[in-house]
Amino acid sequence: MIRIATGVFVAGLMAASFVLPAQAHHSFSIFDSSKTRVFTGVVVRVNPDVNHLQIFFAVMNEERKNVIRDDKGQPIIWAVEMAGSAQSAREGISVNAFPPKTIISVALHPLRSGEPAGDRGGTAMFKCPANTPPPPGKHCDSVEGSVAFGTGKLPTPTT
Amino acid sequence: MDLTAFADALQQSGISEWMRASLKALPIIEAIHVMAVATVFGTIFIVDLRLLGYRDMTRPFSRVFGETLRWTWAGFALAVVTGALLFMPNARTYVANTAFALKMLGLVGAGINMAVFEFTTLRRVASWDSNAQTPMGARIAGATSILIWTWVIVCGRWIGFTKGYDFTVPKEMDLDFDFSQGCLNCFSDLWLG
Repeated sequence: MIRIATGVFVAGLMAASFVLPAQAHHSFSIFDSSKTRVFTGVVVRVNPDVNHLQIFFAVMNEERKNVIRDDKGQPIIWAVEMAGSAQSAREGISVNAFPPKTIISVALHPLRSGEPAGDRGGTAMFKCPANTPPPPGKHCDSVEGSVAFGTGKLPTPTT
Repeated sequence: MDLTAFADALQQSGISEWMRASLKALPIIEAIHVMAVATVFGTIFIVDLRLLGYRDMTRPFSRVFGETLRWTWAGFALAVVTGALLFMPNARTYVANTAFALKMLGLVGAGINMAVFEFTTLRRVASWDSNAQTPMGARIAGATSILIWTWVIVCGRWIGFTKGYDFTVPKEMDLDFDFSQGCLNCFSDLWLG
């Protein structure tokens, strides 16, 4: 009986060892694809991660005059994650294309964990012209001279 | 040089830049890494089952060990090289990642387990080489090895789910701008575009 139980345990370990490496870098189930949020913000940093490039940005207020701050006066930072750095570079998204203080508008599917980050999915991201925020309540796609990265429009937010 | 500075240096190296710029490098190297790890775990597993008394009991342990060990080391060497290539472009992230640290801890544990086995039970292998019943030390080493290598694989996969996000704002970043002041050039100090 002990041998059978041990055998089952070992078989389980073997199955786990074969199944786990078959997954991708991380499952997209960590993002809530039923929710879409759209932000306009100011780039603070780009992390050219090989697996998933990340852009960190300070969220702008609805008036598009300042960044939003929390109770302690700290800017609220969100991160948008996308394809790997090489794949993103094919869309023109790179560290050089998004220097600090670039104003961007992007849609993302937020993390289920509640952390302020999300996956860009397949929608376009827009970069405002230098020093030109969009009008109140609008996004960079409404600003003349803005640049689109990827295809399509900014989706309608669900929340 | 502290660990963070070392990680930064690795991340900014030419190899890292190549990894970041290449569309094919990551998937190919990652696939080789997975195959290498599978080879390591698979061959070690054969030895571990022999140590536990479940497989290959008609063959002397030294023969099973000798036949698989070369594949284990070949797989391990390949896993180290490909693992380093995967590590370098994101070194800063990995050194701060708990799952990565636990994986490295598991590798150290596997090495210690192997060393203890080699310097104790394996030295007396002549006395139990062809026995169906392996000594307690051998069974402990086999079970420990399976657990540790499973731990290494699980932690390796967990890294991708826990790399997380660094939300800190760079010190030089001034976000005290105010577009209501009509400051068309208020970003000019840091504007690099």
